[in-house]
Amino acid sequence: MSALFEEFDDIADLAEGLDDADPGTRIMAVIDLADSADPAAIPYLARAIADADAGVRKQAAQALTDFDGPETAAALVSALTDSDPAVIAAAATSLTELKDPAAGDAILPHLGDTDETKLSACLAGIKELRRPEAMAPATAALAHAAPGVRIQAVGVIGWLQDEAALPALQGAAADADVQVRRTAIAALGFSKSQAARTALIAALSDPEWIVREAAAETLAKSGDASCIAALRNALEDEYWQVRLKAVRSLGKLGAAEAALQIAPMMDIPVPNLRKECAAVLGELAVVETVPFLEKYADDTDPDVRKNVRWALGRIAA
Amino acid sequence: MDEILDGLTQIDCDILVIGGGTAGPMAALKAKKKNPNANVVLLDKANVKRSGAISMGMDGLNNSVIPGYATPEQYTKEITIANDGICDQAAVYRYAQECYGIIQELDSFGIRFQKDQNGEYDVKKVHHIGTYVLPMPNGDTVKKALYRQLRKARINIINRYMATRMLTGEGRVAGAVCVNTRSAEFLVVRAKAVIMGLGAAGRLGLPTSGYLYGTYENASNSGEGYAMAYHAGAGLANLECYQINPLIKDYNGPACAYVAGPMGGYTANAKGERFIECDYWSGQMMQEFFDELQGGKGPVYLKLNHLAEETISEIERVLHIVERPTRGHFHAGRGTDYRKQMIEMHISEIGFCSGHSASGVFVDEHARTTIPGLYAAGDMANVPHNYMLGAFTNGAFAGLDAADFIADVDYASFDAGEVEAERTRVLAPTKRDDGIPPNQIEYKTRRLVNDYLQPPKVTAKMELAQKRFEEVREDMEQGMYVRDAHELMRALEASTILDCADMAAAASLYRTESRWGLYHNRVEYDRDDENWFCHTILTKGEDGKPAHRKQDVKPYVVEIAEDEKDAYYKQRVGASVAAE
Amino acid sequence: MPLAQTATTVPVTVNDDLCIADKGCTVCVDVCPLDVLRIAESEDGSKTAYMKYDECWYCMPCEADCPTGAVTVNLPYLLK
Repeated sequence: MSALFEEFDDIADLAEGLDDADPGTRIMAVIDLADSADPAAIPYLARAIADADAGVRKQAAQALTDFDGPETAAALVSALTDSDPAVIAAAATSLTELKDPAAGDAILPHLGDTDETKLSACLAGIKELRRPEAMAPATAALAHAAPGVRIQAVGVIGWLQDEAALPALQGAAADADVQVRRTAIAALGFSKSQAARTALIAALSDPEWIVREAAAETLAKSGDASCIAALRNALEDEYWQVRLKAVRSLGKLGAAEAALQIAPMMDIPVPNLRKECAAVLGELAVVETVPFLEKYADDTDPDVRKNVRWALGRIAA
Repeated sequence: MDEILDGLTQIDCDILVIGGGTAGPMAALKAKKKNPNANVVLLDKANVKRSGAISMGMDGLNNSVIPGYATPEQYTKEITIANDGICDQAAVYRYAQECYGIIQELDSFGIRFQKDQNGEYDVKKVHHIGTYVLPMPNGDTVKKALYRQLRKARINIINRYMATRMLTGEGRVAGAVCVNTRSAEFLVVRAKAVIMGLGAAGRLGLPTSGYLYGTYENASNSGEGYAMAYHAGAGLANLECYQINPLIKDYNGPACAYVAGPMGGYTANAKGERFIECDYWSGQMMQEFFDELQGGKGPVYLKLNHLAEETISEIERVLHIVERPTRGHFHAGRGTDYRKQMIEMHISEIGFCSGHSASGVFVDEHARTTIPGLYAAGDMANVPHNYMLGAFTNGAFAGLDAADFIADVDYASFDAGEVEAERTRVLAPTKRDDGIPPNQIEYKTRRLVNDYLQPPKVTAKMELAQKRFEEVREDMEQGMYVRDAHELMRALEASTILDCADMAAAASLYRTESRWGLYHNRVEYDRDDENWFCHTILTKGEDGKPAHRKQDVKPYVVEIAEDEKDAYYKQRVGASVAAE
Repeated sequence: MPLAQTATTVPVTVNDDLCIADKGCTVCVDVCPLDVLRIAESEDGSKTAYMKYDECWYCMPCEADCPTGAVTVNLPYLLK
């Protein structure tokens, strides 16, 4: 009879293989330690992540995904300066899998590091742990030369949802890099403050359409009636993607006064935009828009027709 | 390895969970958490680390009911409509109420869901009314995270044992007979409660590629749950409501609705025109798909080449990395670039799978089957359209209820003769010197399923199928031959597949109306609400063949207005439009 | 024996130079849902994983979980 149950072996026994001369045997020991899911394996894996063989180190970095806490985080951070890019990549991925806020203890001291790869990975790792202490170093990292670092820093700040971070996010919303600006605009969504609204409205005039799109979308979250005029301006944007988000946000804000401006947009030959316009006209329920909707009751796009039917039903009710 | 050994072991446990894919691990975890003293055993014919439908991961939740985006009432209503009204809402409603808690629990396991720049869930829209799609950017780690939890909870895991029959006694479940897939040694597990999470019957129809394992479902999901429930005497509901999906031709993997749909992709005909209103998978949608192909307007395609570069790269990232990573290789091999070409689609082979339709072992809102102590959850249980999150959530319900059930009962006694009879049945193909190998029994069964059971359903064809199946069964019982334990596993699967084929034919013949679009399109019959607004329940009859009865649909918890009922009938783009 | 020997090309290939089955590794064999991989021992005693049964769902755990990157999953010829 072969063994019936999966075993729960003694960790020290499993770890013996780590002392073998052959890297293959050491890799097998790492795999067994990972499968144990026993936190007692962490110190052994922390040792293996400094193994002489890159294959063992990579396996250990992957294995640590199965664990959490400061000791795990410290081992992963140490691997971020490995000589082998595959080890660094594995450690960076494992860092983003941490859940235990205490794991942040091992990451926080490294948030002042200047190495681009290491700092990006540390910021990405601390983001979901939502440690308030990360705010200051993340804010400082907004001055880092690498846009990749700045994007991660914005992520950390956005997840913390702290009004005190608004000046930092406002600054990032004016960053030289388009992806940093786009991320910062989306991160402002949590705030209902005038400062956030001002930054978002300013971003509606950003030279890059994807930033304007993010601003138009985010205004539905943090905006109020004072944003309606700016969103109505955005209905004239040269990019339909921006117009679409502006329409959606005006619907969410219940901007009935914009209904007659949105209604003629049904004539624009972009089905996605017509679909959104029809849905929003239904939400705003302004009787005068009925003729515009009726015109598209037999639109060539089924989603448009569906939304038109729904909108006409809502206005009638 | 694979050499046939003689052996029989018996073990006892409080709760036996069969199937370590999605529902099973969650059931085991919940039962153990509720009653830490309970001896919970999780058994799988593969290895729990990578078994089941989500072996390689999942790209997102299709049916998350998250406060602020959808309500349990709205969800229950939509699923009822999508399922043509034949739905006991209690189970759907309970799922809708509790699945958000399961999402949060999965999140705490390390299975991450897409969040926005403030760390809030980033839900997308696909269904008709509500918003239910929640992408999973690291969905490839689902099984790993589950396995970690099982190990932490010190669940007893048994890999590479295949359950072949339930044991029953005193009117309730008593355990299961299992066989090792690499040695043919037997294991009898006595249990006070048994939870089945054995997945879909995915190897029922034959894929058009002709490759036995090129199925839509994980090919290890060959329908044991359905067959074991049937032989144990449990009721199975609405088996005529087949699973048929719109897939990428030949690759046979999912194409569109939930990933590409929210980003602007859609199903188009040869001219690149849309012809269906909503890409949400339903029988009505499949009927339109079928009609388009029959009407000479095919091939049917997934159209992405009108989308922006950023959108296409994001779709590629999700589709090629998570769930079925070989999809990227497939397109690369054929030189298909989403930016330039449309992707050819086709209609999948038939199967049973409540994940996407409604056929399955009948269960209530506690995942209880019609046999006391026996539970079923996930793709094999009849909670409609429940997908991965439904498997997790209903698996949790099963584990919680079973933990209570075992508190009040001892082991049910069973007839030892049952074990002996099962041993004889299982080992018969090993006792012959030559004969028909299991792959040929399986191929023939599944080829016949395609020939005679694939909708549209014709009475005379289905009756012919029943005759042919009887002949194959005779060959299987008298002449199937295996050379090692691995082949014996395939032989047992062939037997399961044949049972499922019999059930598919019998259930389809019983419901003398058309319903669920293509899933149960009987060309001789129209829809008949007067006589068939009911579940059909299939059981094993006295004569050992399928028996049938009707069962009332329970009064709705959430009322459906008259004008909402037809939301899924009118799927086709209007004629005036299609002509343009 | 009435059974024929019909040749079939298999979708999963293993790079012998990278495979560490010698060290007791059975990761790919363990994770395959269809249990189609085995370890072969050659005459000189060296071991390597190989696809014994052509019953592949091309799902990839064997390739993804192999610690040395020795396993490649191709699409079965019939459907590629």
